[in-house]
Amino acid sequence: MSLPTGITSHARQVCSLYKRSLRNLEAWYDRRHIYRYRAVILRKRFDDNKTVSDMRTASELLAAGEKELFETQHFQPKKFANSPGGCAYAREVIPPDWVLDYWHPLEKAAYPEYFARREKRKEEFVTWWEKTYGKPDAKDLGHH
Amino acid sequence: MSFSQVARSLSRSANVFRTGRILTGAVRPQVRMIHQNFAPLVASNQNQVSLWQLQSTRLYSAKPPLNLKLIEERVILVLNLYDKIDPSKLKVESHFINDLGLDSLDHVEVIMAMEDEFGFEIPDSDAEKLLKPADIIRYVADKEDVYE
Repeated sequence: MSLPTGITSHARQVCSLYKRSLRNLEAWYDRRHIYRYRAVILRKRFDDNKTVSDMRTASELLAAGEKELFETQHFQPKKFANSPGGCAYAREVIPPDWVLDYWHPLEKAAYPEYFARREKRKEEFVTWWEKTYGKPDAKDLGHH
Repeated sequence: MSFSQVARSLSRSANVFRTGRILTGAVRPQVRMIHQNFAPLVASNQNQVSLWQLQSTRLYSAKPPLNLKLIEERVILVLNLYDKIDPSKLKVESHFINDLGLDSLDHVEVIMAMEDEFGFEIPDSDAEKLLKPADIIRYVADKEDVYE
């Protein structure tokens, strides 16, 4: 698990710019062979400046690239439907499993067989966990 | 249920029986989706060619259930089709940059191909850790809740 802090190396920023530029081209040119032609030209432009070792020139090139991308960005970029920015992102909310544990006892009583088996599975999981990782430390239990 | 409802449901089921084509289509739902030209191909070597390899269009309404083997097949196929990777050197555990000789921009292209293949976005912070095909398989499986 990593938190996006926004502080990335120059190489990462170039990679990110390359990816966003390709996606931008994909949004503009929907014919695949025309998109591939443009993508190869773009790759050539990135490869030309691969050997720039002067950090000042490199960051200037990066800024120029970002500016060009901003000026040529598509008005309606393509997004994956289930990814952030997509039309179906977070549309289907799947409630987490522990919600079932907070049902009212009367509600649980409507499904006695299921909840009996669920309690059994929970016990089995606890024994499996303790066998694998050992007993939890006493000071880790409860609220902090 | 009132009488009119019963009559309506009866007439609806009668309609279904009248059109025999709907029934035959429902019996073989998978073959029905394929173009006629492909049908004999599927029937003859069904164990070599999977259905998803023949589909020229993506149907986003529902996905076939994934398993780890299927994810691995798809990842390896996409990598084999990438022209900068030598298929003979490619293994599940080979490192893109050290073993296969890709540079970081090629790696971006590989990740984009994986996004297109599996239909979801891989953020940059995750993409930089996916340096082996095995990592990609694991990542896709975690994303799609596939554990076996």
